[in-house]
Amino acid sequence: MTDTTIKKTFASRRGTAPLLMLGRAFAALWSSGKARIGLVILGLFVLVAIFAPLLAPYSATDNSFTRGDSGSPAHLLGTTGAGEDVLSQLLYGTRISLFVGIAAGTLATLVAVLVGLSWGYARTLVGDVINFVVNLFLVIPALPLMIVIAAYLHDGGIGMIVLVVVITGWATGARVLRSQTQTLRSRDFVTAAVFSGESSARVVFREILPNMTSLIAGSFLASAVGAILGEAGLEFLGLGDVNTVSWGTMLFWAQNSNAMLTGQWVLLFAPGLCIALLAASLALINFGVDGLSNPRLREGATR
Amino acid sequence: MSLLSVRNLLSVRDLSVGYESPGAVAVPAVKGVSFELAQGEFVGLVGESGSGKSTLGLAITRLAKAPARITGGSILFDGTDIAALSAENLRSQRRGGFAMVPQSGMNSLNPVRTVRDHFYDIFRAHGHVSVHDRLTRARELVGKVELPATVLDRYPGELSGGMRQRATIALALSLEPRLMVFDEPTTALDVLVQQAVMATIRQLQKAENFTAVLISHDLGIVLETTQRVMVMHDGAIVEDAPSRDILLRPQHEYTRMLLSHYGDPRADVVSVPGIESRAPEAGSAATASRPTRSAREGRAALETLVVDGVSKVYPRPRRGEQPVTAVNDVSFSLEPGQSMALVGASGSGKSTIAKLITGVERPTSGSIVFGDLRVDAIRRRDLKRLHREVQMVFQDPYTALNPLHSVEYILTRPVLNYSTLRGADARRRVLELLDTVGLTPVEQFAAKLPHQLSGGQRQRVVIARALASDPQVIIADEPVSMLDVSLRAGVLALLENLRQTFGVSMLYITHDLLSARLVTDQIMVLNRGSVVESGETSSVLRNPRDEYTIRLLDAVPNPGRADVA
Repeated sequence: MTDTTIKKTFASRRGTAPLLMLGRAFAALWSSGKARIGLVILGLFVLVAIFAPLLAPYSATDNSFTRGDSGSPAHLLGTTGAGEDVLSQLLYGTRISLFVGIAAGTLATLVAVLVGLSWGYARTLVGDVINFVVNLFLVIPALPLMIVIAAYLHDGGIGMIVLVVVITGWATGARVLRSQTQTLRSRDFVTAAVFSGESSARVVFREILPNMTSLIAGSFLASAVGAILGEAGLEFLGLGDVNTVSWGTMLFWAQNSNAMLTGQWVLLFAPGLCIALLAASLALINFGVDGLSNPRLREGATR
Repeated sequence: MSLLSVRNLLSVRDLSVGYESPGAVAVPAVKGVSFELAQGEFVGLVGESGSGKSTLGLAITRLAKAPARITGGSILFDGTDIAALSAENLRSQRRGGFAMVPQSGMNSLNPVRTVRDHFYDIFRAHGHVSVHDRLTRARELVGKVELPATVLDRYPGELSGGMRQRATIALALSLEPRLMVFDEPTTALDVLVQQAVMATIRQLQKAENFTAVLISHDLGIVLETTQRVMVMHDGAIVEDAPSRDILLRPQHEYTRMLLSHYGDPRADVVSVPGIESRAPEAGSAATASRPTRSAREGRAALETLVVDGVSKVYPRPRRGEQPVTAVNDVSFSLEPGQSMALVGASGSGKSTIAKLITGVERPTSGSIVFGDLRVDAIRRRDLKRLHREVQMVFQDPYTALNPLHSVEYILTRPVLNYSTLRGADARRRVLELLDTVGLTPVEQFAAKLPHQLSGGQRQRVVIARALASDPQVIIADEPVSMLDVSLRAGVLALLENLRQTFGVSMLYITHDLLSARLVTDQIMVLNRGSVVESGETSSVLRNPRDEYTIRLLDAVPNPGRADVA
């Protein structure tokens, strides 16, 4: 074999690997019926979020319409007490919920992975310190803490909400990942990697981490659901920026204008249903993550 | 009476069993097998992994579950075709019918229920023992497998592996079966315990006169125990003959191959196919012909590993118990190019010594010196230097390779970490390593993932990884105990060949004295952490002085022994 062919096989392998892995992960998820339903629902929400300006009949902040319209051909879901189109608000609101879910979910998982893996792998005194901190975050009631932090950083907008959700949401994931790291740490292949001269960081992130893909994916989906619900809850309580258009603020304003009393139940029902659907789609995808870290399951049951 | 003894209890005709999973091609595991079992007969079923022997055992007791399915043929048990029985008929048939002692019998007890509860469950399900006779009957049953009546009040976790396996056998006996199938009943047990459990099974079969089938990969155990042996290969029975004939006049090539891998470690000259026979004086040969290695240029000279008065005490496991002394005052030195065996039953401290030498654990007292490295007090940053010279081959090739990495990745890492080779040069070195361990075509094997390899191939990858740093010492911890008999010789021959070509010294940890005799010059016998006997392998094994060594030697299954005695 010549040098050039060796280099060629090297290059081609590197280029295709991440794409291949993504494709395989998607195929693994798609092969589970429940996860497939979840992926379809999530896909629809993503499309709505991207194409909101094209889909929405009006601007979300345009309050020039008749106030309190309960549904007409011009305003399919009616208008709010301030005179905005509900359908347009609902479509634009998808963007915020989806963004908070993905951003807070990713950040919380990232913290959980970093803390959980190093905590599980290292056998030093630092472990006791981390143990104390994690336990602290686990026993603090999340909702009051969220409210306190949100009230303290008043009107910080979406970034603030993401931060609050991450602070209150990383500890559970860290503990789960730490337990799994401790089981994997004593496997022969991890010892073998140490014998191969690998650094601790490499052992943790190249040998142990890939074997926990399904746990991490599950942890991400759970954090994302938590973030979406947390965001809606904080905004509903008026602790976010009430001028942004999101499902949470829609609920806040509907409550403020006594929508139930005026018979405009759609104002509460529509964003509520969307929040439930988005959270459910992520929960459904969670059913399919088991196949992610088992190459044998991926290849379609040859044995 | 004579009429009864010739009557066939079980008659299997053209039985086929296949594994059918949705979306995949059905895999036939048993292909048109026919045989008869007479009342009171003890028959062995021998084959290597994947030969279909366990599938056949499960099929004749109708325990086979999906995706396995009986695809054809009939199983006549005492005149009834059990292949076609309904689930409820089958359940009631189990009493006075057929029972099975499963492979991992020691793990098939429910950990949260006492042994007594297990017996009572069976008595209740079949109602054949009246309520006030239950305790008497349970006591009687555990007595039959030589367990004290007190085990009835114990939980499975409180019993040793051998005791659990005996309890499982007693449970199988509780339905007074006329056919018992033992599926590898002693595989997970220690050599000495294995011998005792097999003796119980033999006595039991004689006393109760049930028909028994012993499924095993170990022809030695089967020939020692049974009257007739069926040899399975690739889903078919290739030979079916009385044990004596199998031993003295094996007809099929496959049987002959299996037999050729047995030998007596006490004999003057021992050889198995693929490994050259070692003369009694072979001890000095290896050191005399030490090769020079070009690859070692610019590296430290070959060093001796010196272990001096090393002890390891683990803190007491529970309050009120004694601390565990795993290794007690062990001293030896491993010269360059030498191969030394470390033998002993499980719990004798062999693996702990491996951990101490590789710096994974630190000794409680004593010193371990390798070159200028003090291994007993090694610092974290020196570990890499130590592992460059001292590498390890693991026992279980199924857990020693990360299932997500390709063979190429697994071998590239140590090459990058321990040498200056990069890019195409590193890749060439990886392919060269694969070639050294006999995995050709190398290009194909480099791209494979561990689950696409067989056990023997995996173990070769593990060996290649250990060689990647070009080490001076290889510690092989039971490298062949998880492999089939026919693959063992190949892996052992590879290790022996590497030692001779590269001048690597080897510490071979095993409980298998035959393989120790084949590949080592020096031997140390460990019992409860202490060295009870050491010296040249051939002389120690031919003239053992310590009682423990003699017991270990007696426990080696040997097809010829029953005949010689």
